Amino acid sequence: MRVPLSWLREYVSVDAPASEIAKRLAVSSAEVERVTRIGVPDEDGNLGHFRVGRVLEAGKHPNADRLQLCRVDVGEGESRQIVCGAWNFGAGATVAVALPGAVLPDGRKLERAKLRGTVSDGMILSESELELGADQGGIMVLPESWEPGTPLADALPLGEEVLEIETTPNRPDLLSVYGIAREVASLFRLELAAPPGTDPRLAEDETPSIEIRDPAGCPRYLGRVFQDVPLGPSPPWLKARLLAGGMRPISNVVDVTNYVMLALGNPLHAFDLETIRGGIVVRRAGAGEALTTLDGVARKLDPADLVIADHERAIAFAGVMGGEETEVREKTTSILLEAANFEPVGILRTSERHGLRTEGSNRWEKGVDPHLAAQAAALATELLVSVAGARWSGHADVHGELPERPIVRFRPERASELIGLEIPAEEQRQTLERLGFELEGDVVRVPTWRARDVGREVDLVEEVARFRLADVPFTLPRRREMFGRLSKEQRLRRVLEDVLVGLGFTEAYTSSLVPTGQDDGAVALPEPLSAEQAALRTTLIRGLVEAASRNIDAGNDEIALFEIARVYLRSGESLPDERWRLAGVTEGGFAGAKGAVEALHAGLHLELRIARADGGVLLHPGKAAALEGGWLGELHPALLAGGWGAWELDLAELFARVPERVAYEDVVSYPAVHQDLAFVVDDGLLAGELVDVVREVAPELREVRVFDVYRGDQVPPGRQSIALHVSFQSPERTLSDEDAREIRERIVATLAERFGAELRA
Amino acid sequence: MDVQALEREAQSAFAGASTPAELDEARVRYLGRKSPLKQALREVRDRESGMSLNAARERLETAVTAREEELGRAELDRALAEDVVDVTLPGEAQRRGHLHLITQIRREIEDVFLGLGYEVVDGREVETTRYNFDALNFPEGHPARSRLASLYLNGDVLLRTETSPAQIRVMESREPPVYMVSLGRVYRRDTPDATHNPIFHQVEGLAVDEGITLADLKGTLLYAMRALFGEEREIRFRTHYFPFTEPSIEPDVSCFLCDGGGCRVCRFSGWIEMGGSGMVHPALYEHVGYDPERYSGFAFGLGLERIALLRHGLPDLRQLWDNDLRLLSQF
Ligand SMILES: [Zn+2]
Repeated sequence: MRVPLSWLREYVSVDAPASEIAKRLAVSSAEVERVTRIGVPDEDGNLGHFRVGRVLEAGKHPNADRLQLCRVDVGEGESRQIVCGAWNFGAGATVAVALPGAVLPDGRKLERAKLRGTVSDGMILSESELELGADQGGIMVLPESWEPGTPLADALPLGEEVLEIETTPNRPDLLSVYGIAREVASLFRLELAAPPGTDPRLAEDETPSIEIRDPAGCPRYLGRVFQDVPLGPSPPWLKARLLAGGMRPISNVVDVTNYVMLALGNPLHAFDLETIRGGIVVRRAGAGEALTTLDGVARKLDPADLVIADHERAIAFAGVMGGEETEVREKTTSILLEAANFEPVGILRTSERHGLRTEGSNRWEKGVDPHLAAQAAALATELLVSVAGARWSGHADVHGELPERPIVRFRPERASELIGLEIPAEEQRQTLERLGFELEGDVVRVPTWRARDVGREVDLVEEVARFRLADVPFTLPRRREMFGRLSKEQRLRRVLEDVLVGLGFTEAYTSSLVPTGQDDGAVALPEPLSAEQAALRTTLIRGLVEAASRNIDAGNDEIALFEIARVYLRSGESLPDERWRLAGVTEGGFAGAKGAVEALHAGLHLELRIARADGGVLLHPGKAAALEGGWLGELHPALLAGGWGAWELDLAELFARVPERVAYEDVVSYPAVHQDLAFVVDDGLLAGELVDVVREVAPELREVRVFDVYRGDQVPPGRQSIALHVSFQSPERTLSDEDAREIRERIVATLAERFGAELRA
Repeated sequence: MDVQALEREAQSAFAGASTPAELDEARVRYLGRKSPLKQALREVRDRESGMSLNAARERLETAVTAREEELGRAELDRALAEDVVDVTLPGEAQRRGHLHLITQIRREIEDVFLGLGYEVVDGREVETTRYNFDALNFPEGHPARSRLASLYLNGDVLLRTETSPAQIRVMESREPPVYMVSLGRVYRRDTPDATHNPIFHQVEGLAVDEGITLADLKGTLLYAMRALFGEEREIRFRTHYFPFTEPSIEPDVSCFLCDGGGCRVCRFSGWIEMGGSGMVHPALYEHVGYDPERYSGFAFGLGLERIALLRHGLPDLRQLWDNDLRLLSQF
């Protein structure tokens, strides 16, 4: 919403500068995007260079056929010689003149100049050069009555400041200059003028025929007939206001409808009365019906679209856009003015369906007060009669019961309590009354223009609070029965992150949305953002592979990445099963991944149990393992070449096994006995199987670690040597050599029995 | 034999020895088996001279040991003085990992609110329209409900557009007091640009208890913003509109770059918009079965990427999804 300050001041006489008005509005009413100045710059006496002038003589330039040479009286006694490129005027015309030294709205500085050998001592201005209109066809001809020498700024709105306001969807009442004026009056505690527009006398009674067949979609339709409409351009002040308000002037009739919309917030429409067959019918579109809109587009109507029709066909999209056939045009002499009210959601749907957003639909879809139509009609009528010189000849206002003013119970002490600031009841009353609320005891009657927005006590609390926001103190809740803590899962996720960061892994964030086709079981989006973001991921690893690959391409080294995030698995219910996963990708192949997974398990005090597994599509077939709740392995070179270790773990499964507490073990009081044992076993035996048995038979075992695996000359073919470092320790006593020998013999005997293992000397 | 003269001579020989070898030579001469002192001790007969000889020997032995330590220490000092490293050479290379910047910010915020007594709740990412919109009082026809704004899996299931559905689930599950923050991924059908990505992260907080006020919201946000942006920060409230709060407030934090003087980051206003907040709309209480006369509360939401961009001067949030180690390891 663009609010020119001169227009605002017509409704509330506020002296504060634009910046101050903007600041207060921004805090209490609506965001002010910026304050801009339009038109002629008002600096260093620049406005003094613009005068009303009268053309005394005008004739062809001696050296140029396209130029006129004029003498212009600008009230200085001596007239000035001015060269001009326009021909839409002659001697006697009253014109707008800029004198040398003037800075024009586009920033150009005017100098005394020679044009084709002749001095030009100023410039005769067009509307567009003053940003007072869009007409570039010729210079602006002013009323004859204006005295030469009059400062132009006294006669025309040469330039002004405009507030550019971004309103919230709950406040359609602020999509009008008058609505903003009401806020400004409240903010500065000033008097608000009565709403603009007074009906002139209705001379005749040419009642238009209006029928509303869909009162839910159109609660009110007020139509007025005007005759002898002299269609033409609007006067400069009206054009200037529209331009400042962000709309292009078109013709006096259309400009009046737009002016009223900007002033009061009720969009209007004018039909060429002669093109309407029979009368107005407001209804839903029929099957197969079509309408060519003002923008020249032929549109197929949807049966849900609300249309304005005559007795034969649809002639406008209600509230969105008029039709081409009934448009006001040059030959128009009589018009039907529509001041209606439309229900918001239907307008929103029609505007979405047809991709048509207009100033009108933008207001309707937020909900316009049905009571406003009469005021809007009055202002439009006043202007059509006084500005355009039309004759008002007919009126009809069709509506059912218009909504009552809502009644809300209100307790000022409750407002103070919720805000946390003591605001006297009397001040609260004044604030509300200035906004148009009426108070009687603990009952508040809501003004009709706020009926959609204010329906509860707390809505009134907001009305009171928003004017005192700066005074609200800073306090903290007086908490009770609460303490802050992370859940076990949250705490353990942090542990895992910290373990990995300690190992030199960097955390990556990859997309939850992946292409379809990676996993047939994935949940797909029916209307995806793109083919690359079409399904919910079921694994984290692919995102990490991509991230690793990007890093390789970037020439980065020491690449080790992890991610903790969710995957989304089909659950058979309407909502997928969201599972937290931890995945990693690292240099160093299988061993690199395994080292990290071992560290993660150690970080959680978990034993890592691992088994050989099928590599699937992701992993090297010979370097793939299954874990409890996950997998690890070396990435299949087709996926990422160069020997990359990878893993993925399901955190719920992992965390379920984490012990509640870690019990103390005495590992200090008595020394451990360390031994290295090498066994020759069959080639196919996994070291882990050997280790499992060692653990099983030796409860005194503190640690067992494979430190060497050997195949070659020193062992028979088909056999391998697996060397273990073992340490034994008792929490109760120092183990003797005798004890150690006994344990060792137990191990050797069992391994020989189970695996045919021979102890190497 | 003049014991005293001998002792004086030995003492000065020990003191004069400037290397361990010289000292050893002197020790052999005066305390060795063939030294006059040892010979005298072997030959002594009377108790008195024996005691005096022994005392001299002990003193001399002590002196040798002391001098030995002195010389050894001097030797070590000399050796160390020559053993010099170039302290500007790099240390042994260590691979260092990094938490993603968003995780770092997430933890900071979690810790701030843990300190204020809040719990951290991880909500679902795939939600029903009931939790994502209806229960949060989004009216029919609200733009966020549109398929053009949100990512639907079907008619009533979508990727959450904010983390607040978790608030409804918590309120449904128990009576106040509720003090919670939920952080995580949210999804909107936005065209990616420097400040938008269809997936981003939010923190949303909720406090519902007896006697919670708008002033409590202001104080809480002040505390959080000071923790994130520095102790000098101030908070300003501007009125706004959200379906789930009433009154609705947009909090601004005073610009930490220009200290309110005006700069490019704060668009020369001295204030930076931080997100949305307000007092919980009573419709939410009705939905979860709380008594709005007894309880009141506030809610707020901030974008984590926005914090990252503002605080660290990151020009484009899409870089946070590139996972380039050169960028991630800066933080
Ligand atoms: Zn700044």
